[in-house]
Amino acid sequence: MNANGRVGVMNRLGSLAVLCALIALWWMASNAGWVSRVFLPTPQATFASLLEGLNLRGSNGNGELLAFTQATVGRMAQGWLLASLFGVLLGAAIGVSPSVRAWVQPTLEFIRPLPASALLPLAISIFGLNPGMVLFVVAFGAMWPVLLATVHGFAAVEPRLSEVARCLQMSRAAFVWKMGLPNAMPDILAGMRLALTIALIVAVVGEMIASQSGLGQAILLAARAFRASDLFAGIVLLGLIGFASNALLAFAEKRLLRWQQP
Amino acid sequence: MTERRLLRWLRPWVFPALLVGAFEWYARRAAALGSDALAPPSAAARAFMGAALDGSLWQATGFTLGTAALGLLLGAVLGIALGLVLGLSRRAAQLGSLSIEVLRPVPSVALIPLAMLSFGFGVRMELAIVAFATFWPLLVLVQSAVQQIEPRLLEVSRVLGLSARERAFKIVLPAIAARLFVALRLGVAVALVVAVTVEIAANPHGMGYAMMIAQQSFDPALMLAWLGWIGVVGFAINAGMVRLQRVVARRMGVLP
Amino acid sequence: MSAAADFLRFDGVAIRLGGREILSPTSFDVARGEFVCIVGPSGCGKTTLLRAASGLVTASAGEVRRKGVKMSEPSREVAFVFQDYGRALLPWRTVEGNVSLALEAAGAPAAERAPRIAEVLGKVGLAKHAQKFPVQLSGGMQQRAQIARCLAQKPELMMMDEPFGALDALTRQSLQDELARLVRDDGLTVLFVTHDLEEAIYLGDRVIALQANPGPGRPSLARMIDVKIPRPRDQLTTKEHPEYLHLRRELFAFIEQSHD
Repeated sequence: MNANGRVGVMNRLGSLAVLCALIALWWMASNAGWVSRVFLPTPQATFASLLEGLNLRGSNGNGELLAFTQATVGRMAQGWLLASLFGVLLGAAIGVSPSVRAWVQPTLEFIRPLPASALLPLAISIFGLNPGMVLFVVAFGAMWPVLLATVHGFAAVEPRLSEVARCLQMSRAAFVWKMGLPNAMPDILAGMRLALTIALIVAVVGEMIASQSGLGQAILLAARAFRASDLFAGIVLLGLIGFASNALLAFAEKRLLRWQQP
Repeated sequence: MTERRLLRWLRPWVFPALLVGAFEWYARRAAALGSDALAPPSAAARAFMGAALDGSLWQATGFTLGTAALGLLLGAVLGIALGLVLGLSRRAAQLGSLSIEVLRPVPSVALIPLAMLSFGFGVRMELAIVAFATFWPLLVLVQSAVQQIEPRLLEVSRVLGLSARERAFKIVLPAIAARLFVALRLGVAVALVVAVTVEIAANPHGMGYAMMIAQQSFDPALMLAWLGWIGVVGFAINAGMVRLQRVVARRMGVLP
Repeated sequence: MSAAADFLRFDGVAIRLGGREILSPTSFDVARGEFVCIVGPSGCGKTTLLRAASGLVTASAGEVRRKGVKMSEPSREVAFVFQDYGRALLPWRTVEGNVSLALEAAGAPAAERAPRIAEVLGKVGLAKHAQKFPVQLSGGMQQRAQIARCLAQKPELMMMDEPFGALDALTRQSLQDELARLVRDDGLTVLFVTHDLEEAIYLGDRVIALQANPGPGRPSLARMIDVKIPRPRDQLTTKEHPEYLHLRRELFAFIEQSHD
């Protein structure tokens, strides 16, 4: 291993050491009672709750956490897929035509800062308290970053490429499919990554207020019942979901945008 | 000529006016058929005036904005401080990278029950979550901004023998001022969204809660009024930040 | 004779932009197989003239006629090589994919595309780089890729807007010779805009010199010179040819004059 390789390994080990130090700090704080165990469970209790909840320790646990995780992830994923599909379709339709954009863009800019969760009361009003309602808000809320990113991506086609399309006498459809869409890809993928974060958040909030089975409701109930280790186990799982989904998408992004790397 | 300018001025309002008009028509029909889920925008406007006149509008808005601001202050101070450190020291950045990667993906809403447990309901709980949510983007953006400072400037600070404090205030902060402001703009947006979300999910104070209560009391007009008001407040604050950002960029020599 | 002259005709073409007349009414003919170079200082309208000739821009007055038909819209038979080659290539497609775009637009069946692409890439010397993305290519290679795509259109006419302006001297010279060979082999008609007088004389059968700020008594089209230097030309010997030196002096003096 050359000098550079060695430095790389040292850095990763150092990084790991810092993380372990933080966990050790957590261990001390909770075990020694610096922070009450009502608010800060010990790492070992959290881990035990995780194992129990995920039914990894034989038949000792009831495995509910696994079901909750599946429910939350399912909501997030379904909503995100719907959001991406409709966001791209609508965004392409709007972004391709400068005149449509001119009429509609200001309204889109107004909707952009609105918190997606703010639509939950309205949705409850219309649909009632059921899983479909939560899925609707997840999809609707997550759609906007994709839509806005797609509009932007289609609107910003390099003018030189538009001229090349004219020189080659490309049809409008061919232009949208061969130039507009690939050109918008980096923006669309960035929008989809943001949409994923929003989908998770709205799924969790939706579960909390609509009493839908999932990690959101689970951690709320755990807090109300002062079951700190279950609460922390749920938080860890939500962190993992956030991490994994983001990492997967980043990986896909890198593959799809291979052409950007020299 | 003025005709064209008038048209251009009116154009952004045409599409939303059409939407509101259609919604008004639909909601009136629904109300006539006995539905209490929707209310026409005209009724929402009346409810809005009512809330404005009896003070509840201002109280709730004040709570949300105030708490969001305090949370942002805390998150920004910590995020900027750590961002400066990690940006200036490659060693520190590498040491902290794994911990940041592990802690950052936790969605801020997941901490709502924990904050509830620790602080009960009120300002502190919401403030803590807003602080957590705004800490990360500010950390990442400031770190990246510092890492992209023209290295020549940092060499100048070494040659001139500036102390760490002098370097921070005379070289680093001005150099990143424009990008720091962009990060703050993002922070403001996140703070508002998270604050409202916490109020919807749990905290019985502020605009989000007012909207939830209106829905639960089967007062769709008031609920829609709050929804619209939340949108207007968010839009206005963000637009204001964009204006401010342009001013800052011009003063710091980024824009001509 | 008129059939050959009617290949491309500029008939009183004038262009106004932003209230100013960039190009005063200009008329000239281009015969099939001719290599015409257009030179002039910045602002003389040479690029705009080229874009009007390809249908990308409409002339404010007069017409450009190709084989008797007015050019109002771009056509696949008139290829356009842009100066900013980096922005004229699709960054998300390989060199092969970029060339394929021209064939797809022309509706060529999929089976025919691969051999045609290979042929054209061979002509510009990019056969070994077919699978690379534009970002992985040097400036000269990117420009060759653009030229390859234009050749794939099987054009009658090739418009080139300062195609080698952004390249270093050595790359420019080798591309000039490659272009001369291509044009000769395929019998192409070329309109070549450049600010480099020596390049214009080296490549062209005819050089048209435009001047900026036209006015009454001062038309845009200032000089039209036939380049009577034999082909094939060569970077060393041609540039010492007496006719070359004579033309060079003449054009230089003219450009200096028009600067006052």
